Amino acid sequence: MNTKLLARTGLAVLLFSLLAACAGPTATPMPGNAHGPIKLILGAYTTPREAYGELIPMFAAQWKQKTGQEITFEESYLASGAQSRAIVEGFEADVTALSLQADIDRIAKAGLITHDWQAASHKGMVSTSVVAFAVRTGNPKNIHAWADLAQPGLEILTPNPKTSGGAMWNILALYGAALRGRVNGVPQGDEAAATEYLQAVLKNVTVMDKGARESITNFEKGVGDVAITYENEVLVGQQKGQDYELIIPGSTILIENPVAVVDTYVDKHGTREVAEAFVNFLFTKEAQEVFAQYGLRSVDPEVAQATASQYPPVQDLFTIQEFGGWATATPKFFGDSGIYTLAIAAVQQP
Amino acid sequence: MTATALPVRESIPWGRWGLRALAFTYLGVMLIIPLAVILQDGLRAGLGGLWRAVTLPVAWHALTLTLWTAAVMALINAIMGTLTAYVLVRYTFPGKSLLNAMVDLPLAIPTLVTGVMLVVLYGPQGAVGGWLAQQLGWRIIFAPPGIILALLFITFPFVVRAVQPVLLGLDPEPEEAAATLGARSWTVFRRVTLPALALPIISGTLLSVARAVGEFGAIVIVAGNIPLRSQTAAVYVLGEVESENRLGASAVSVVMLALAFGLVMLVDWLQRRGSPGRAE
Repeated sequence: MNTKLLARTGLAVLLFSLLAACAGPTATPMPGNAHGPIKLILGAYTTPREAYGELIPMFAAQWKQKTGQEITFEESYLASGAQSRAIVEGFEADVTALSLQADIDRIAKAGLITHDWQAASHKGMVSTSVVAFAVRTGNPKNIHAWADLAQPGLEILTPNPKTSGGAMWNILALYGAALRGRVNGVPQGDEAAATEYLQAVLKNVTVMDKGARESITNFEKGVGDVAITYENEVLVGQQKGQDYELIIPGSTILIENPVAVVDTYVDKHGTREVAEAFVNFLFTKEAQEVFAQYGLRSVDPEVAQATASQYPPVQDLFTIQEFGGWATATPKFFGDSGIYTLAIAAVQQP
Repeated sequence: MTATALPVRESIPWGRWGLRALAFTYLGVMLIIPLAVILQDGLRAGLGGLWRAVTLPVAWHALTLTLWTAAVMALINAIMGTLTAYVLVRYTFPGKSLLNAMVDLPLAIPTLVTGVMLVVLYGPQGAVGGWLAQQLGWRIIFAPPGIILALLFITFPFVVRAVQPVLLGLDPEPEEAAATLGARSWTVFRRVTLPALALPIISGTLLSVARAVGEFGAIVIVAGNIPLRSQTAAVYVLGEVESENRLGASAVSVVMLALAFGLVMLVDWLQRRGSPGRAE
């Protein structure tokens, strides 16, 4: 008797939950109207989290003043690659802010971003940073330039380019500086010598963390002599009271962080207008000042000028275009027989 | 044919078949379909493709590192787990029940926390790790010993909990007889107690290996994750997923799955073979 009841109830519950799962999260297309509250979903990478914590209330207040409409945000922060894949797989973010263009391109390739997002101001790049070093207080290992990373016995932290899209910046910065003749001992344009230098640095890498944040956290715990990271990670760490030092090498790559409206989802949610307003807001002077407060270099020339003492210009700054853009650089360096892939294999041979 | 007889007769197949259908549906939805998807994904490029993906130097090294660290863990677990179970069953001491309850705790702690804890303790700046590095030049964290430590912590309950009930239910007479006949306690343990415990020790150990093969959360923190040096299979799989190489990820996953499945089947076989054998 008991079994029967149990079985029936169980079956009913199972069937019901299956049905519910099928009906799933596809419901709720809530078209935004000017009266009711509206919800905007932001799918971002982890670095600018603190900046968005300040930017979102600012935008919400402005929007309320302009339209009288309440706006609530749902925010998700993940590693850039993971966030990009989540959006492709159906995480319905209205606006996405990621660490590199390749991650936006993936969403565009999936057909979810249909407009030319790079036609926006600053080619859709809302903030920038540079690849730099974090070293121990007093710089005991005397690290000032890329060449210093190759000294035998040094312990280096850098995230794994396979797990952290952003970690690719580090490898490209290092290799690019070498190719441009900015690393002592590597002749300009000599790919073989640049690869050899890359191997010498990789030999010193003791920990490859999953992402940039984990890497700098490990450095804060006392692991390693130097962490190859982004300027903003070091600045934010210092703001929080960490006492390591920032070294910006004479030649480095400009990290550009894109932002875009996801067409498919804003049309589904009826949030295009507010999503576009939010993206435009991020490029305003006041928003750019907030990014600058949180360690990111502003794309606004005036704000950049005003914060130049905090963000000194780099002698020899190059961009991803040095390598023909991400579409070329990713397979060339990180593919199965890419320059990095072969180099990391070569240095581990006994 | 009365009105009351009908529902009773109908209700019998309902209960029996309903229960079975429920169990099978549940198994299918929760377990078999997801596993089949991984298997199918790994075999997308055929067995040859799977083999090529698995024998790439980085993948192969990740798998062998996973296996040998798990093997060392298994050996330590088999010995120390049995010892722990023996002490918990045969001796009385203050705080015994508390200690006994603590054995299961590693199952409840997020393994990520386990990793962080190990780095704090054994890392180069840690209390124990700093001393070991200075005095002996040993490196625990960001090296294979760290992986083994993490695995030992995570799989702590497996052997203990497999051995404990058998030891509790063991007939004390043969041990007493052996002792009466003049056997020393170590001989009694080796010749009388241990043979009866062989099966639970082996199954507990094999299950701990199956658990260790797929461990990610703690390993990614303590291992260092350098390809061809300190990167395990689970961390390798994450790397391939993140860099859009689904075949590489699922191929290595299929091998890990097959390993775990083989181990669990082996345990099952040993147990079925072992139970009537002991009665003789």
